[in-house]
Amino acid sequence: MATSVPAPLEISEEFLAPVSSEELPEQVTLWQDAWRRLTRNHLAVVGLVIIGIFLLTAIVSFVWTPYPTWRQALGPTYQGPTLAHPLGLDDYGRDILSRVMGGAAIALSVGVGASLVASAIGIVLGLLAGFYRGKIDVVISTLINISYGVPDLLIALILVVLIGRGIQNIILAIAITAWLGMARLVRGQTLSLREREFVEAARSIGTSNTKIMSRHIFPNALGPIVVQATYLVPAAIIFEAFLSLLGLGVPPPSPSWGGMASEGYKALQIAPHIVLMPCLALSLTVLAFNWVGDGLRDAIDPRMRR
Amino acid sequence: MSRGTLIYAAQRLVLITFTAIAVSSIVFIGIHQLPGTALASERRNNPASEAALLHRYHLDLPWTQQYVIWISGLVHGDLGESMVYQGTQITPLLLREVKVSLTLGLAAVLVTVVFGMSLGVLAAIRQNTWVDYVASTTAVVGYSVPSFVWAFLLILLTVSGFYAWTGGTIYEDIGWGKPEQIPVPALALGLPYAAIVARLTRASMLEVIRQDYIRTAWAKGLSSRVVVLRHALRNALIPVLTILGPLITGIITGSVVIEFLFGIPGLGKEFVTSILSRDYNVVIGVFTFYAALVGLANLAVDLLYPVLDPRIRY
Repeated sequence: MATSVPAPLEISEEFLAPVSSEELPEQVTLWQDAWRRLTRNHLAVVGLVIIGIFLLTAIVSFVWTPYPTWRQALGPTYQGPTLAHPLGLDDYGRDILSRVMGGAAIALSVGVGASLVASAIGIVLGLLAGFYRGKIDVVISTLINISYGVPDLLIALILVVLIGRGIQNIILAIAITAWLGMARLVRGQTLSLREREFVEAARSIGTSNTKIMSRHIFPNALGPIVVQATYLVPAAIIFEAFLSLLGLGVPPPSPSWGGMASEGYKALQIAPHIVLMPCLALSLTVLAFNWVGDGLRDAIDPRMRR
Repeated sequence: MSRGTLIYAAQRLVLITFTAIAVSSIVFIGIHQLPGTALASERRNNPASEAALLHRYHLDLPWTQQYVIWISGLVHGDLGESMVYQGTQITPLLLREVKVSLTLGLAAVLVTVVFGMSLGVLAAIRQNTWVDYVASTTAVVGYSVPSFVWAFLLILLTVSGFYAWTGGTIYEDIGWGKPEQIPVPALALGLPYAAIVARLTRASMLEVIRQDYIRTAWAKGLSSRVVVLRHALRNALIPVLTILGPLITGIITGSVVIEFLFGIPGLGKEFVTSILSRDYNVVIGVFTFYAALVGLANLAVDLLYPVLDPRIRY
């Protein structure tokens, strides 16, 4: 008796033909979707434009400023805005426009640099703490909790005294105080993601821990990470200004915005423009980053929208 | 306060003590790995007197022994002696300064809470009107402008009035202690955080005023003042409380800069001065005080939860 062989499944040509692109809704990745929502947010777009302008200014300042940022006695000291010096001259007769331009380069490098370094530390430690839990988590969490008990400016100040005031050192000092928030965020994300089915699936086919963390958990936590990293930039810029105000920022004659404000403070009454110009640049940059941060937060996770 | 609350507070106080000791121990150990102290910069023409100085500060001992001496002083509340102003005991000095910082800090917290909450409530009950837009925009701009910029702006806005009123911007030169010296630095310190509180208050008010019990309150014919302030605000404040802890830490951080700018003789200014002159004993002392201060502030915030929400008990 011959066993009956099931007839091969008949699949009509119709199903095998590629679906024409008109029938499918447009395919959009998560990030394309987020970008689209971000560009629909007016404040975020304004923020991006402002950041773009400052970034351009910063790049230009490396090759050209109207006057060298350090050249003194270009005219009467404390002179207000004139045609030759649109933002006026400071207490040494230096051109404030040139110095604000140079300051943009310092502010952006410190802001973006510190944010990147802090994010890198925070992501790695957060992933380790959340994924392995146990002893590693206890050590990292204790470190975070103790650090939260001290204002971070104090730690940064000590570090700057310790390692010196070069711009890399400032970035490092700020990053060492700023990674805590990122580590907390990534730890929390990892703790919940590691229990999900796709992680279990990855483990079931023998994926190594490193690969699970880097290829499965990290990409899924990237949204909140990007938002947090964006907020870290303005925070670091303000932090650098704090350090400069206290006389421990990027050393003069480098044109740091905070340093310019602190030099002009003693002449606030007679020449307010010396203080106001860098403060305006600083506040605008911080505002722009906060707008973009808010926009990103709403775009990446609409549920977080207020 | 119930018995449970008291026990909870006592436990937290013990924890704060340990955190303060841990923080200052880390700083102590870290700092003692550094080369040089305030003494190192002095002229060394007399080896005998230098040895005497080193001995006076126990700097001739290995750091482990120094640590034991220092920690036994700490548990008795003795933070040692300043290395720059020899003979000055640090504990009474910092106790005097912490009072100044506390006055300023509490005034700043008051600014934050009063400005932030009124702006937030106003924006929420007039949602999507020009009041809301103005308040919300003010809030975003407000927290992007750092405290020291607020200080410059406030001084500039009232230049002649300000100088006539307070006698100058460097309070150290004219003597600290007059009440009219407090408002400007307190506003400068509080306004950025007031903006954060305003955003949060608005968001949580908007959630609360849509709930049924608020509709009931309106239906009973209660006045809008009672509905908004008594029924809605009280519940809307609970999420705002959670931000108050980090916010107080932020105000303390900002106060370092503001005290330095205005020459206010508080803890923050002492920290900057001592770190610049490498007066490490004072630096460690300030850290200890700050750690305790942050802990106590967070405890105070946590004790407010059961006041707002009786379901929360410790």
